[in-house]
Amino acid sequence: MILLDVKNLTLEMDIAGDWIKALDKVNLVINEGQIHALVGESGSGKSIIVKAIVGALPSHWRITADRMTWRGQNLLTMSLKKRRQLIRNDISVIFQNPIDSLDPLLTLGDQLKEMIPKTNLTKGWFWERNKQKQDIAISLLHKVGIKNHELCLKSYPHQIASNVIQKFMIAMAVASEPKLIIADNPTKGMEVTTKTQILNLLSRINQVRDMSILFVSHDLLAISSMASYMTVLYCGQTVESGDLRLLRKRAFHPYTKALLDSAPSFRKDLPAKSALTSLEGTIPTLHHLPTGCRLGPRCPRARRECVIMPVSRRVHNHYYSCHFPIHRDTK
Amino acid sequence: MLNILLRYTNLIIITLFILSLLSFALAYLFPGDPIEIMTGLKLEELQKLQNQSVNIGYDPEGGVLSQYGHYMSELFSGNWGVSFNSGQPLYEEIMQSLPASIELSAYALTISLILGLPLGFIAALRHHKLPDYTLLSFSVVGYSIPVFWLALILILVFSLHFGWLPLSGRLSLIFDVPNKTGFILIDILMSDIDNKHAVLLDALRHLILPTLSIAIVTTTLILRITRRSVIETLNSEFIQAAYARGLTTRQVLVRHGIRNALIPILPLLAMQFPTLLTNAMIVETIFSWPGIGSWLIQAIYQQDYSAIQAGMLAVSVFVVLFTMSIDMLLRLTDPKRKKVERGTI
Repeated sequence: MILLDVKNLTLEMDIAGDWIKALDKVNLVINEGQIHALVGESGSGKSIIVKAIVGALPSHWRITADRMTWRGQNLLTMSLKKRRQLIRNDISVIFQNPIDSLDPLLTLGDQLKEMIPKTNLTKGWFWERNKQKQDIAISLLHKVGIKNHELCLKSYPHQIASNVIQKFMIAMAVASEPKLIIADNPTKGMEVTTKTQILNLLSRINQVRDMSILFVSHDLLAISSMASYMTVLYCGQTVESGDLRLLRKRAFHPYTKALLDSAPSFRKDLPAKSALTSLEGTIPTLHHLPTGCRLGPRCPRARRECVIMPVSRRVHNHYYSCHFPIHRDTK
Repeated sequence: MLNILLRYTNLIIITLFILSLLSFALAYLFPGDPIEIMTGLKLEELQKLQNQSVNIGYDPEGGVLSQYGHYMSELFSGNWGVSFNSGQPLYEEIMQSLPASIELSAYALTISLILGLPLGFIAALRHHKLPDYTLLSFSVVGYSIPVFWLALILILVFSLHFGWLPLSGRLSLIFDVPNKTGFILIDILMSDIDNKHAVLLDALRHLILPTLSIAIVTTTLILRITRRSVIETLNSEFIQAAYARGLTTRQVLVRHGIRNALIPILPLLAMQFPTLLTNAMIVETIFSWPGIGSWLIQAIYQQDYSAIQAGMLAVSVFVVLFTMSIDMLLRLTDPKRKKVERGTI
């Protein structure tokens, strides 16, 4: 069943008087029980998509979409109150900077208990409820692998090590028992052992609790170890999306190919001491976005037609937007 | 905790020590003999007292250090000398006028807090909308008006033109309230005079104009500080995150917004206190309010050096103690600055 269906999401922000499309016709479909990876370079708008989904964007940015539904309910026309309620029940976000996204003046315990939905509390009196909340909080911490719950619950965010706080964020996300967890770059700047712990934790949550995960990252290794479906984002445009294994075997879009090639561990045929491949140039700034396909200036296969935005095409369950996809060559 | 207390005590003691040095130095900087300025007595009178074998500890031959030591011991024993002009002991005069000033500033500060904080919140919550612009333009106007001019205008309109409120003073001359604490409202409530109610009403009527003229400026200040801080807090990441977690606007504001917005405001408010006191001094002079401000300005007019020296010391000590203790209180209660205790979790 389709949980989240986003079609042609466009977000315009006002930068020095110009309306600039930070997101340009982004498509994203998340199914139930799926781990969906959203990949892109830094600055490609991954975090903005996340914020657009949960409605945490500044109100003066313009958001338009052909379709943005959550289990059939339209998120864009919904009242703010209803939308918050829906997000509180069904969607949780693990933010990129755990420490910044926690209230610095409240203990972690208070903030975790705030996320426990009232419907999970069975007892009547408030002291019983508080006790029950405490118990739920402790068991949540144990589930994400924090053993010293007492110290953790009564600490303030700045007093806790960053890997613990990342686990704590996961506990917070799980607390409301959502259908979808959006993990925005949860392994940012972590060493391998902690990263593995976090990734295992997320996969386990996906399997045991049947929660979908939208895994936003640029870490291809992490993605390939857990995700089943991948959407590639470049500069605010969805470039290609499809089953991860198929995508790895044969990418249609030049950018996806370049992205996969840039990760050495993905290429078994890479000879020793050969130069690593990478695309020329860097991702353009918001002020100097190319028209049409935004990869244009960097694309090895670009031709004149590329100044017109290619429409999204579909081969089975595999979507791509390119005038000159790679599979055409092989014919 | 103890560490912080010790550090602040240390800071206060050092600051007060420097203040006492400055005040001591004033005696040498003012024209006239230092001993005259410190005691408020003329040299001949001192000589006379010395001859009458009254031990006043006057030793013109002693070094500066022993003079300073003596000065300090007299300060602490409450012997601050006498005024050149009135011949009254300065300690008593200051202890009578300082409470009047504190009272006036306290009421003004209370009113500005009651008005300024909510208005600042309203402006920030309606950022870039009509209420924000309206409040902001009012605050710019209020902030730009000089206090003395505002006080005069208020007198002109409400006392002279309409005749609604009294022109000056703390209390109508027909009433006589025994002076106990120096705070007029408390004195009235504590005294057992007839028609207490009428006296209280009269005191309040006298309070309105001076309080208002100080409060308007301070309110605009507080409004602007609050507005800025609230806007910054609301734009911070954890507020956005709280929204993204599906909390309602009210929950976000009450649980996360207010506390975080207030924490950076309070030290700034404490820093506004000297400005407030300065404004109060000016307003006191205009309304002939018997506070430390008008008393000091009177002393300056009359070149009453001993009074200036003692008055400045008293006011500055009061300001230092007040601001530092607020600072310390905030430092002790701010969880963000709690010592990081990283245990293995």
